[in-house]
Amino acid sequence: MINRRDFLNLTTKALLWLSGLLGLGGLARYLSYQPPPPPPRRYEIGAAAQYPPGSRTVLAEVPALLTRTDAGFQALSMVCPHLGCTLEYKAEAFECPCHGSRFDAQGRLVKGPAVEPLAALTVEQLEDGTLVVIKS
Amino acid sequence: MRPSFFQHLHPPTIPAPQARLRYTLGAGGLSLFLLLVVILTGVLEMFYYIPTPERAALSIQEISFLVPFGGLIRNLHFWSAQFLVVFSLLHLLRVILTGAYAPPRRVNYLIGISLLALILALDFSGYVLRWDNGVYWALVTGTNLIKTIPGAGPALYSLAVGGNELGAPTLVRFYAWHIFGLALAMAVFGAWHIFRVRRDGGIAAPAAARAAPRISRGELVRRETLALLAAAALLALIAARVAPPIAPSIQDSPAALLTESRAPWFFLWVQHLLRLGDAFWMGVALPLAALGVLAALPFVCARQPSDQAGRWFAPGRRLAALLAGGMVLCALILTVLEALQ
Repeated sequence: MINRRDFLNLTTKALLWLSGLLGLGGLARYLSYQPPPPPPRRYEIGAAAQYPPGSRTVLAEVPALLTRTDAGFQALSMVCPHLGCTLEYKAEAFECPCHGSRFDAQGRLVKGPAVEPLAALTVEQLEDGTLVVIKS
Repeated sequence: MRPSFFQHLHPPTIPAPQARLRYTLGAGGLSLFLLLVVILTGVLEMFYYIPTPERAALSIQEISFLVPFGGLIRNLHFWSAQFLVVFSLLHLLRVILTGAYAPPRRVNYLIGISLLALILALDFSGYVLRWDNGVYWALVTGTNLIKTIPGAGPALYSLAVGGNELGAPTLVRFYAWHIFGLALAMAVFGAWHIFRVRRDGGIAAPAAARAAPRISRGELVRRETLALLAAAALLALIAARVAPPIAPSIQDSPAALLTESRAPWFFLWVQHLLRLGDAFWMGVALPLAALGVLAALPFVCARQPSDQAGRWFAPGRRLAALLAGGMVLCALILTVLEALQ
């Protein structure tokens, strides 16, 4: 049977540990607040007529490459999937100035250190014919 | 004559061989001096720097070109910070090559390694505070690297960046860490480091040094003051002639102008590593492992005869010397390779 002194000692330590852990838990919750994610960004890039079929246009503000084929519009993101640098578009291929990743004209990975291909962005057309590139 | 506070910080006498520049290279003392300059100039900059994305780069331009002596203050802050990295690394190398990491100096060695990590964190956070197009990619890459850490990555990224993406909360958090969080840790660890030097018996020396002639506290302070004045003159000369980088604000740069894709010079070796393999292993795990190897040195290479402590390149410490020298060489090669890209 435990004596009174040891019992009180044990209870004190247990309560201190418990309050310490609760405090740490509260601190973790406090620091883990995440603001709601921003809405997808929309870039209005002008009338569809500005981009004739067969054209490839670098949209610097997005950044993305807009291709118009007979099938329609495609936008390839020019953000490197490795660590986020903006790619350079040269000779129908993409190269990253930060760590040397390379992608072909369709956005497929040619050379690392990136491990993913380029993301495809949605292209919408508004009623008045303006094109919008959407980046989530 | 009763010693002043500054004199009293020094022991009454120290063995003459330990006070020689050829032995210590004065690298530790110089680092302390550079730290004081960096803190003083930093405090002065705080009167004009504004930590918002719209005004940060502009406020730095104001300091550099409009505030009287502002350019000098900013230049001093930049150069003393960069030289601090160089001299603290030199000091670390000296400590390893003279075996001053062995017990009883093991704890102080670990404090010193922590100080090195703090110095690099302070240099990087200060770099980010420019918020101009020269630092943009380093900021993007550096914070995205945090996301690659398995498990805690996204949570740590939110903590570092203050949300889901780079913005005003990011700048303010980097500012708070730079002027307070890291600076406070630096002050505490720095004071502890210097205290431990005396507590552990002064600068490491072989046992035979007990019989060596000694110099007085007054003489030591006189030599330090001379070194301090010489360093101050050299630093002032460099700061007056060579300006640190400055560039238009990120907010004012159209995407096409964000072309500077270089890491800050002390992380060029990491940038090169990132070209060679997976982002987490090359960019986070390997650098941390290098730090780990340095920290483990006093435990792995502890044994040395007492007459070899305090001597340069003693034969009993070949492994430590090779490890340290090898790592420095690798870092230098990687840096040069990246600089040539």
